[in-house]
Amino acid sequence: MNLSRARHGLAPWARIAGLTVCALLTLGPVVWTVSTSLRTPAESFDLPPKIIPTDPTVDSYRGVFEQIDVWLLALNSTLVTALIAVGQMITAGLAGYAFARLEFRFKKPLFALVLATMMVPLQVTIVPVFLVLKSMGLTDTLLGLIIPAFPTAFGTFLMRQYFLGMPKDLGEAAMLDGCGPWRTFRSVYAPLATPGLAIVGVLAFNYHWNEFFRPLILETSGQNYTLPLGLVSLQGNLGTGSISVVLAGVVLSMIPAVAVFVVGQRPLREGITSAGVNR
Amino acid sequence: MTDTQTPRIQAVRPRAATPAAPPPKASARDRGTRLLAALFLAPTVVGIVVFTVVPIAGSIVLSLFHWNVIDDPEFAGAANYREVFTDSTVLVSFRNTLVFMVLAVALQLLIALVLALAVNGRMPMWLRSVFRSAFFFPLVLSAASISVVMKYLFNQDFGVVNWLLGLVGIAPVPWLTSENAAMTAVVLVYVWQQFGFSFLLFVGGLNNIPKEIHEAASLDGATGLRKHLSVTLPLLSPTLLVASVVGIINALQVFEQPYVLTNGGPGDATRTVVMVIYESAFEQLRFGEASAVGVLLFVLIMAVTALQFRLSRRFVHYQ
Amino acid sequence: MTDAHLTRRTLLRYGAYGAGAAALAGTAASWDRLTGADIPGRDDGSLVVATLGPAYGPEAVRTLTEGFKEVHPDIKLRINAVQAVDWSDFFAKILTQIAAGTAPDLVYVATEGVQLFAERLGVALDKWVKRDADELREYFADVHPSLVESMMYEGSLYQLPVEFNAADMYLNRQVLDRAGAGFPAADWTRDDFTALLREMKRSSGSQFTPYFWTNRLWGGVVPWLFANGTNLLAESKAPGGRWLWDGFYPAAERRGRGGGFRWTTPQATDVRVEEAYDYLASLIQEDLCTRPEGGNGQNLVGVFSTGRVGVTPAGGFWAGGLHLAGMKAADYDVQYFPRWRTQRMQFGAAGYALLRTSQRQEEAWEFIKYAARRDTLMRLFETNQTTPARRSMLTADRYRETGPRHWQVFYDTLDKFPDTGPIPAPPQVAEVEQVLLKHTGTALASRRSVGPALRRMQNDLERAMEREI
Repeated sequence: MNLSRARHGLAPWARIAGLTVCALLTLGPVVWTVSTSLRTPAESFDLPPKIIPTDPTVDSYRGVFEQIDVWLLALNSTLVTALIAVGQMITAGLAGYAFARLEFRFKKPLFALVLATMMVPLQVTIVPVFLVLKSMGLTDTLLGLIIPAFPTAFGTFLMRQYFLGMPKDLGEAAMLDGCGPWRTFRSVYAPLATPGLAIVGVLAFNYHWNEFFRPLILETSGQNYTLPLGLVSLQGNLGTGSISVVLAGVVLSMIPAVAVFVVGQRPLREGITSAGVNR
Repeated sequence: MTDTQTPRIQAVRPRAATPAAPPPKASARDRGTRLLAALFLAPTVVGIVVFTVVPIAGSIVLSLFHWNVIDDPEFAGAANYREVFTDSTVLVSFRNTLVFMVLAVALQLLIALVLALAVNGRMPMWLRSVFRSAFFFPLVLSAASISVVMKYLFNQDFGVVNWLLGLVGIAPVPWLTSENAAMTAVVLVYVWQQFGFSFLLFVGGLNNIPKEIHEAASLDGATGLRKHLSVTLPLLSPTLLVASVVGIINALQVFEQPYVLTNGGPGDATRTVVMVIYESAFEQLRFGEASAVGVLLFVLIMAVTALQFRLSRRFVHYQ
Repeated sequence: MTDAHLTRRTLLRYGAYGAGAAALAGTAASWDRLTGADIPGRDDGSLVVATLGPAYGPEAVRTLTEGFKEVHPDIKLRINAVQAVDWSDFFAKILTQIAAGTAPDLVYVATEGVQLFAERLGVALDKWVKRDADELREYFADVHPSLVESMMYEGSLYQLPVEFNAADMYLNRQVLDRAGAGFPAADWTRDDFTALLREMKRSSGSQFTPYFWTNRLWGGVVPWLFANGTNLLAESKAPGGRWLWDGFYPAAERRGRGGGFRWTTPQATDVRVEEAYDYLASLIQEDLCTRPEGGNGQNLVGVFSTGRVGVTPAGGFWAGGLHLAGMKAADYDVQYFPRWRTQRMQFGAAGYALLRTSQRQEEAWEFIKYAARRDTLMRLFETNQTTPARRSMLTADRYRETGPRHWQVFYDTLDKFPDTGPIPAPPQVAEVEQVLLKHTGTALASRRSVGPALRRMQNDLERAMEREI
């Protein structure tokens, strides 16, 4: 009678109940943020927290638009994020293909070098990077944020995995037909790589949209701030800002990330998953 | 994971050369291939050299100088390193970072593994995808803003966390103001945001385990926990390796959470290495010393990762 | 391969071309944005002024720019509102700009950074102040000498203060009523304060803490040190400064003034410092006071305005903050910091510092004078986001809408207590502040930890003060 239960360790309802509790704990802070941003500041510390605001107000959102130039910040964030995403798709697609399908000297050490860059904390190199950018005249420009982010170790690794996963016979057939290495890439493999590139793009968007440290150091003019930096000023001088306004800002900055989450959830999930699968 | 790839690359090479073609043409093709490879790699490699390799070299050089940005750098030899090794704040920050890494990675992997196994069990498809999305959601948020939110939730007197604990009769915990609790809070906030990554890795890894293996194990009488320990875990070990390598590399670089939640306090209880780098460089203008700490952190990360791959040879099973 | 596959492929290809073209076009169209070339005054010889972002919103920046244009149509001006959560964060960004070779001409600097900037980066204003003495007489007559003195370093004046904030006590009326306590008298003592906290605690439920404070240099432990007649670093005054005092202030206000403060020898193990920490530790133990919290983002105006906190130290800047949080003028009030051995209080002030590297020092001086004018400050400080440095601006009218009722307390903290002084901020301030915050956190963990933590604080402070900056 108890056989099936024993086999699965836990009764299904208990398992699902446990998962539900965990999911609530995971989403709780997000729900609190959204609902607090819709309440008046005076109600923000009410305990028990009112998850559904009794009389919701969007005053806080108006406050955000009054206190910071949301549109300019969003434009900057979009430019930076989009260009980095496109750039990473190009660099990772090309390098990933080279590592997966082309033969050349120093392949292994070069690949190791690429992977090793994952181990370098940003904060260690930020000062010299700053000086390199200064010599290029790129400090305090958006390009200074974008260009150094083009090479991507993780993206290159993903694309290499992706190309390795495609049947080899395709390329061999093309070669037998007399295609050179470029045409083999362009007409056989590249068109198949779109889903893989989408993964790289979504990952890049997700990471750089939320990026805080590099913009904090590299961008000094207010006009060059990205959204996460701009939100800081909502906290006010000596913390006099209103908590609802701060949270409204957080919610606003979440929207594009959530949109990408909804649209790009599958590529994102696959991207992360494929990193762990040993092909 | 690099290890798994190696045999494959070697296997590819002889076969790639086989397509019967006259020697001269093949060498032209080889030249073409090499040229193409060079072109394809150029953006990535040049970028990495300019924005990572050169800066690392720069950091090493800078670590041998005293430099405050305003005046010209002044050669200091090993003075910065001597300073670093006698500075209690720096030493404590290394200890904190290691403690944080162990706690955060262990907790993150454990939670992710348990949840992945649970989600992998029998349930309606839609429910599974709801759970998957929920656990993965915090990953798309910004660590800095989520830490601002968490600071309210963890407030000792007015926060929701202590209120919830109060419901089950636990006295208010001074989350952000007592040494042990502060580290716990930073770990919890970090894990809350990060476990989704390992979770997805495990879900992918579990999907990759052939059903027959489970069935065979069940026929052999393996049940519940024992089945997981003796069958699933070994098969999952390559994924476990990736998750722990990435987890450790990330955890050793933790910055936003302690910076916003506690600013390193109380005392130095949650000051991490990267925070020390930030403070000594950008707040106290001691760029040489900051670079020395950075170089040491880099060495530490390399060492830990190398150690992991070494250990993995004994414990990781590939199918 | 089927036709469908081919068309899909073609579609993909054209899609890719299209996306590529769009990306290129987008990049080209936004090139100026990407290179920052569209920021007015970036490289056109404008006078560049860096201000603290949260204190200067877009509105304030516009006001300053337009007003300056009316007075000096010939000087191009660019105001750079730097986003930072506190002063040390702000200075970090300014120093980064200097490292990048994009240094501003003028920087808004608070007491926290006055000596750091004076020592390493600033230009003394003495020659201009002497030259334009007649024009400035009205300004100095309106600004308390303590504020001016806090902007002096080794006998020279580096900034004209435009705003200040002293740590006074904000009290929540609702909580006072609940406790059945009257509004404290101006000369209330530390013991009155303790008794009030106990009554507040008694009359309020859980999730209430009578005294809330933030662990920072301004308004943290320092007010208690001042009240107990001591300081974190031994305080003395530099010689000099006579040129200014004799030229602008009557004899009565000149007495005891010098050439600026010197904060030198650390004295964290001083008996009185220990007493102050013991006192705070005892409040924490009695649950009368929050533990010292560090870090950024403490928007806890909310807990005060909703009656979860009874008393907290803050300056004039909170009047605006509480108003924003929806608090009515009658819901709260403000009183001096309680007396202990003394009733000396602490403040921080701010003004514009002129950088040595500036190529436009004459224009910069014109801006400094403009920024200190009464009409400029009237327009700038409309919402009571800070206390104006000019006495004449503190009027019943200004505080009618926001409160507090005892608004006179703000300036009387200076006028009635002439020994009220700036928070200790030597050139080594970044490290001094870090050491203070860090060991305050551990010192107040329990009563027993005060002594050992202060000894460690003393060691670290000595080390910090020896360091060249």
